[in-house]
Amino acid sequence: MPLSTQSQDDNDEQYILVASLDNARNLSNILKAIAFKDHAIFTATPNGLKVTVEDSKCLQANAFIQVEIFQEFTIKEDLVGFQVNLTVLLDCLNIFGGSTAPGLSTALRMCYRGYGYPLTLFLEEGGVVTVCKINTQEPEEPIDFDFCSSNVINKVILQSESLKEAFSELDMTSEVLQITMSPSQPYFRLSTFGNSGNAHYDYSKDSDMMELFKCTTTQTNRYKMLLLKPTTKALALSCKVSVRTDSRGFLSLQYMVRNDDGQICFVEYYCCPDEEVEEE
Amino acid sequence: MNCTLEGLSVKAFGRAIHALARIGDDLWLDPTDKGLALRSVNSAHSAYACFLFSPLFFQHFSLNAPSQQCSGSIKCKLLMKSVLPLFRCLTSIDRSVERCQISISDSSDRVIFQFLCRHGITKTHSVRFQECEALQAVFSSQQCPNVLKSPARLLGDMVMHFPLSQEEITLSTTPLRVSLRNYNEGGNDRLKMVYTNMALHPDEFDFFQVRDDSDITFCLKELRGLLSFAESHCLPVTLHFGAAGKPVCFSVEDVVLEATVILATLINSDNRNSQPTETPAPTTPRCDGVDDTVTIPSSQGSPMNQGCEAMQLLPHIYNANDPCVSDEADASAATTPASSVICSLLFRASEQNDDCFPTKLPVLASYSDDDEDMEENGVEFPSL
Repeated sequence: MPLSTQSQDDNDEQYILVASLDNARNLSNILKAIAFKDHAIFTATPNGLKVTVEDSKCLQANAFIQVEIFQEFTIKEDLVGFQVNLTVLLDCLNIFGGSTAPGLSTALRMCYRGYGYPLTLFLEEGGVVTVCKINTQEPEEPIDFDFCSSNVINKVILQSESLKEAFSELDMTSEVLQITMSPSQPYFRLSTFGNSGNAHYDYSKDSDMMELFKCTTTQTNRYKMLLLKPTTKALALSCKVSVRTDSRGFLSLQYMVRNDDGQICFVEYYCCPDEEVEEE
Repeated sequence: MNCTLEGLSVKAFGRAIHALARIGDDLWLDPTDKGLALRSVNSAHSAYACFLFSPLFFQHFSLNAPSQQCSGSIKCKLLMKSVLPLFRCLTSIDRSVERCQISISDSSDRVIFQFLCRHGITKTHSVRFQECEALQAVFSSQQCPNVLKSPARLLGDMVMHFPLSQEEITLSTTPLRVSLRNYNEGGNDRLKMVYTNMALHPDEFDFFQVRDDSDITFCLKELRGLLSFAESHCLPVTLHFGAAGKPVCFSVEDVVLEATVILATLINSDNRNSQPTETPAPTTPRCDGVDDTVTIPSSQGSPMNQGCEAMQLLPHIYNANDPCVSDEADASAATTPASSVICSLLFRASEQNDDCFPTKLPVLASYSDDDEDMEENGVEFPSL
């Protein structure tokens, strides 16, 4: 495209970050999995892009799009961070209507000149080019949940299919979702306490849906249902989920997502336990 | 009570619950030595349904509570909206659920539904119940003059022609003919209504006994659940009914289960069995401009005053020698053949007028302070 090539030659030196994708859906789909709040913190490093969304200091979602996913990824600093309105960004990425016709995809070139400059998106589909400039804000510091592998007490990896069914049936009148992980029965249990009664979903450690089962101590933790509700979007996109709890009862959910081209990306949720319950 | 169902039975059980959910908001559980009865009644007490599963239906059936030695068959009711979601996805439930165990716990006020699903997943739901007397409709089918037994798909195929929004239908039977047509109250949307009328020959039925000609109007929506249950199990449907105002009973049965739906029918204030050539005794119509001989409303306009609140339900009069199938079906006809007189069906708004025609929808179950309105057999409904 004459217009974009011209700007590419002239302005490229000014950008501290340039990321290109032949298929913008490889970014927009994964961002939808964490789009439960308007604002997102973008952190770019030479390893790729991390997008963070937080809710009330209790829930944090991160989407990782590693550098190999991009067709072009040029970064001039060790760390580039900014904050944008995620809803607006998704609207722009889908500006051509988000059709899934084979062979027709929106190409994206995302450029950022640095602090104080807007995020510039060049989107092209079928010969039509759109330029979007989205104002950026001072990036907030993402909360550090201090969740490290050495503190992990219990871990399971499940195929998403089985969890999808459970999450779609969860009693939403329950204020909390209780997760029990144990080396003995019931192994892995999701429980709700709703208006009409209680429900327990038990996954046996021998289940063929259970890819990994590493539970050392019996732990029961409760998490606010409203906080976990956004995770269903990530669950819907994913093929596998890892569920981990640490000694404080903090929950880490990691979702393995395959994009349109079959490449793997990760989405991660961290959630604080509901304070009223004493953890083990 | 403690019972276990396997795969396909879970599907049938789920279908029964879906059918009962169309009737009422509560589900009554009544375990007896005859089996487990699931019942429901609607809030107006004009529709009642009962599904009785014999012990043979279950892989295992015991009246004893799982933990107790002595027999404790608690009768209780549950909120339908707590139970119905457990049996969603009926099409795949027999593949995903290997076994379902239902037990009524004596110690807590819970009914436990435990589903053993594929992939080693177990779902346990404990639903709060309220202890109560069993719900039972008092209805004697032996006293009904008319009995029809229709093959599984016949009724289902017939009602398929009515839109899902159709509230009530009228079943007219004579020894020579059965017809089903939609029933519409007078309303403002008459221009949009489609009139449907289907007639069947007695030969289409497995059993046909019509001792008294009758026209009964009842709620279709509440019946659809049973009809789809019958179709899915390929079971014939038996109807027991009499004159308008008396309840109509639809039942299906096989070796391991029996299902019954009893619906109230609209009352006719005039003598239904009048001679065809006589016009009905003129009950004073409340609307201006209504004759005894008026046409079925058509898109050309109706003589009925739409703003009228209190309209009399008039019987449908026809010439027995001249089967009116073609006349009724010709809904858009502006005139009727001289040999038959077709009256418009006018509906009386219930409970809004306390004039001289206290026609009300018959109820199957009476409230303790409303006994005089009972037109037919009542439901013994306990006051809690």
